Amino acid sequence: MSTTTQQLQISFTLNAQPVDETVAANENLRDLLRRLGMFSVKFGSSDGITGAAAVLVDGELASADIILAAQIDGHEVITVESLNTERDLHPIQAAFTAVGAFQSGYSAGAMILGTKALLEANPNPSEAEIRDMLSGILDRETAYVKPIEAVKRAAAVMRGESVDAFGPIVLKPMTDGTNAVAYDPASPAPEGSEAIPRLVPSIDVPDMAVVGKPEVKVDAVKLAKGNPAFTDDIELRGMLYARLLTSPHAHATIVDIDDAEALALPGVQAVMHYKNTPRIKYASGGQSWPNPHPHDQVSFDDKVRHVGDRVAVVAADTPEIAEAACELIKVTYEVLPAIFDEGDAMVDGAPVIHDEEDTAEIFDRDRNIVHQIKAERGDVDAAFAEALGGGAASKLYEQTFRVHQVQQCPIEPHISIAWLDADERLVIRTATQVPFHTRRMVAPLLGMDIKDIRVIKPRIGGGFGAKQEMLIEDIVGHLAIATRRPVRLELTRSEEFRSSRTRHPQTITYRTAVDADNTLVAQEMYVIGNTGPYGTHGYTVQTVTGLRGLTSYNAASKRFHCDVVYTNIPVPGAYRGYGAPQAEFALEAHMEDIAIDRGLDPIEFKRLNWVKVGSDLDIAPHLGERSVEEGELEEYPKVMTSGIEECVAQAQREIGWHRREDPAWVAPADRPNIRRGIGFAFCMHGTAIPFLDMGGCSIKLNDDGSFNMLVGATDLGTGADTVLGQIAAEVLGVALDDIKVYSSDTDMTPFDTGAYASSTTYISGTAAMQAAEVVRERLKERAAMLLEIEIPCTIELRDGRAFAPDGRSVSLEDIALDSLHWQDQEQIMGTSSYVSPECPPPFAAQFAEIEVDVETGQVTVTKLVMAVDCGVAINPITASGQVEGGMAQALGYAHCEEFAFDETGKLLNDEFGPYKIYRADEMPAMIVYLVQTMEDSGPFGAKAVAEIPKDGVAPAIRNAILQATGVAINDLPFTPERVHAALTAHQA
Amino acid sequence: MGPSLPLASAYYRPGAVAEAQQLLTGENRVALAGGTIVNADREHGGIEVVDLQALGLATIAAEADRLTLGAMVTLSTLARDERVPEALGAIARAELPSTMRTRATVGGTIAAAATSAGVTTMGIADSVLAAGFLAHDGVVHLADGSSLPLAQLFASGLNARTLITAISIDPSGVTATASTGRTPADVPIVAAVARSTGDTVTVALTGVAATPALVDPDDPAAGLEPPSDFRGSADYRRTLAATLTNRAVEATR
Repeated sequence: MSTTTQQLQISFTLNAQPVDETVAANENLRDLLRRLGMFSVKFGSSDGITGAAAVLVDGELASADIILAAQIDGHEVITVESLNTERDLHPIQAAFTAVGAFQSGYSAGAMILGTKALLEANPNPSEAEIRDMLSGILDRETAYVKPIEAVKRAAAVMRGESVDAFGPIVLKPMTDGTNAVAYDPASPAPEGSEAIPRLVPSIDVPDMAVVGKPEVKVDAVKLAKGNPAFTDDIELRGMLYARLLTSPHAHATIVDIDDAEALALPGVQAVMHYKNTPRIKYASGGQSWPNPHPHDQVSFDDKVRHVGDRVAVVAADTPEIAEAACELIKVTYEVLPAIFDEGDAMVDGAPVIHDEEDTAEIFDRDRNIVHQIKAERGDVDAAFAEALGGGAASKLYEQTFRVHQVQQCPIEPHISIAWLDADERLVIRTATQVPFHTRRMVAPLLGMDIKDIRVIKPRIGGGFGAKQEMLIEDIVGHLAIATRRPVRLELTRSEEFRSSRTRHPQTITYRTAVDADNTLVAQEMYVIGNTGPYGTHGYTVQTVTGLRGLTSYNAASKRFHCDVVYTNIPVPGAYRGYGAPQAEFALEAHMEDIAIDRGLDPIEFKRLNWVKVGSDLDIAPHLGERSVEEGELEEYPKVMTSGIEECVAQAQREIGWHRREDPAWVAPADRPNIRRGIGFAFCMHGTAIPFLDMGGCSIKLNDDGSFNMLVGATDLGTGADTVLGQIAAEVLGVALDDIKVYSSDTDMTPFDTGAYASSTTYISGTAAMQAAEVVRERLKERAAMLLEIEIPCTIELRDGRAFAPDGRSVSLEDIALDSLHWQDQEQIMGTSSYVSPECPPPFAAQFAEIEVDVETGQVTVTKLVMAVDCGVAINPITASGQVEGGMAQALGYAHCEEFAFDETGKLLNDEFGPYKIYRADEMPAMIVYLVQTMEDSGPFGAKAVAEIPKDGVAPAIRNAILQATGVAINDLPFTPERVHAALTAHQA
Repeated sequence: MGPSLPLASAYYRPGAVAEAQQLLTGENRVALAGGTIVNADREHGGIEVVDLQALGLATIAAEADRLTLGAMVTLSTLARDERVPEALGAIARAELPSTMRTRATVGGTIAAAATSAGVTTMGIADSVLAAGFLAHDGVVHLADGSSLPLAQLFASGLNARTLITAISIDPSGVTATASTGRTPADVPIVAAVARSTGDTVTVALTGVAATPALVDPDDPAAGLEPPSDFRGSADYRRTLAATLTNRAVEATR
């Protein structure tokens, strides 16, 4: 505790300046540096393994988390702030921004400092040396592809060499856009850095000034400089530190809580738990109103349902006091039997997880079935009966797959800070993907009106769905109201694993009837979805599983049925892909095995059956909260654009598909224990949720002809602010730098449902385009006044000017000054919002090249190639970054990430390392192709790109293992012992 | 401030080994080398740390046929010092990522391996570097002037108040490593470090016991009773022990 902690006087050099400070013996260097205003130094974990707090200590890169401040006495420390001596960027910072190396930029300071140290020691490092330097900085976003390119570029610049502008390699199409072409093994793949996307343009897409260009991100400078932009980068006088007390039991009733000793501890300001917080039911998933039932949570309950569940929270003057107070809270539990497996949960006599009376709309409470979902078209049973009877449908295939629980792992954990402002309104500054949902959802829990709450989303250090949740905002709200002081709560890394959100485990069974001519006749998917102890996203995620699992391939009859069950595992929620990666793994494995059984090339069999332009999206209307019956629908939505054949052709060439048939390549003579394989997966995703996802945008003209653009969309690092700015800039005929984007603040910006469902570019982008169009029309009218033109619509905006047909022009600055100050004064501005009736699917071809050590079971992934039809990539650099980062996450899902529990439900690997995510020095090669199609319903032809890279990696690896070894593995991940066991069983 | 602060309540920085020894006799005193383990520990509170950075233990010395590595030599120094056998330097580089190996030390690695402070949650030693020291005939030097073979230290355990000052190794021979992990840079489930000198082959394994272990190269799984964890069952670890030993030994030839 602070009262007994030794205080020491230390002297050290910080960014070339002498510093004398008093520090506590337990203060670490990270906290000291942040206390001194070095906000580039970030918290990722206490054990230093994320590297987000890495700084240079005596010239060497080191994690400040695991260095005591006292150890620094007499040493030299450098942070990225040392480079911020002027407005311009240091060459290293400039290189990182030029190649789009930052997504959230949460670990930007560490990467730049590592580069600085590396280049000072070695001006011309090899790629292996660069990867080694980055090995200590975990990045969940970029797959390290563009950071590595940035280091190479910085090295070249600092050696005095010239560098090319960073942009895509533009390729000629290999197909006519519709039909497949024969694979040519002799055709070489284009050469170039893997960081550079390969762009295959479409003749349907016009050349544009800003859209489609590799613009530098609008937020690049603040990220490169490590400026205070994130939730935690503010200082509030009198702030309290909150600490959670969580459950050690998977399932227990809280008989009593005694907080007297905790409250008596000096410095403790509040302790909250079920006895002193109102019991108001809610569902925490960040979804549109009305949130799907059941509303099975309260802020603090008298029952805990998983290890890590909330029990109480303390707010205290210091983190140490808060932590000590948690240990003084006496909780009396009555431990109950627990269940973890989704199949076991439905067995008669299983423990009932929600036996409370005030949770309504649980489908079958006694069997822990929270939802039962059904959707069908055609006559599946008849088709199956015919197949079994040897009729026209020649064969019925059935397989079961198990997909596991993983975590999103944003390097910035959940963090929220709340305070009462001068008007006594509650301000919540929080790392969220859904600020507007959060405001609406938290209000009733706090007994406040929505109008009295302001939610600010600052810069976010990654979310991937984990922050599509009202997770801890109610806690800081309760505490700020109770104490009338600012309150900060940040989850530890362990809490992030145990107490935030994860991906739903599922058991998936496919049954597919295939005709004699290899055509799918009927397909059925049965899913048992494990939603853990709370419903949250449980209904919608499993719905998407059904949607994705039954949309990719045509079949006359289809059926989805699903039991969503409660268990006592840490809570699943939204995770990038949202039910699709689970479905795609099972589907693409199932289709692969059918093809092999029928002696067909997997791509040919899948191609025969996959949806094409004009195909009905025929299960979609029957799923979801607004589903309809078959007879209610006049016409199914259809696929309007698909670049899948071009994707397959390009990616097949890149991966060298023919090698999988070469025995000398598959079984290299000099490595007898190695078998190589190449696998393929067809990917199809969605673009936003039709009739539901809505985005808003407001744009106003400034005196100098620039614009402020306010968007409710939530940039988590995805590049959304940049993409939306590019769309507006294209419409308004200005450079991207003339669009100043601000997102998102519930007091300031228009409503947006939030960053999820691959919706931002398509939905919020259309809103931005429309708002810009409103402004553009008014600018034309004002320009017509100044140019004395009678027909404003003949005026064209470009290069920051308004041009008359006769070539005369007036600058937007002149229009602004005239309209704001001179005649018929007005604020030129436009506002628009958009909700789409469409959900145009992006398509992709995913290939994986792997090696299997057949003696140990170790799988090594050597190359991933994804060719994506995302319509028109508004920014090919940020789009390719999304694909790279998505593939890296999907690689972890397939290969090494998993939750491991003991028999009591305690998570055994609640830290990085035991929970393994990929680092820079072990990544496979990655190549991204962007295949353009012109999606007329999207802004400038755009479809989605953010989630589809999550879909194909696992099945492509699985199919590659199968091709290499003959062994089909139907559960994830492909860890060495699992693969070894499968190989051993196969040999037996 | 980040959550879960380090648990040190007092900090000392002695200037001499004798002073450090004296300080370490105090209650709840813990030697602090690089800090990658002690400062990351959130479980064992109430400690007072004795920082070893000012003791002059960060040197590497080649003497006769031995190489003496000071306890405070960092793994990054080990990885780039040309006097260190190349294979052992590579093991040091692979032991920890870039932001940690600049702080982690030789002495800390040995101490952690010997006291199970650096093992996984299931109590399985996984320091390949410690196994490398074993394979290189490591002899640990203590502050009281005594020394003992590293294998003996692992067998007897390390008293928290015992101060390691150096380890000496035999740098000769050909060394090779074989390992299996979930990913290429993962902490191996099992790793074998083999060192061949003339007709003699020495093999040390990780992932098969509570500390790195020397095994019979001809029958590496004999007598092994590995614990299980979610990355590998006991049976699987035994299988890997045999396979990886054969590979590592073969690679030294």
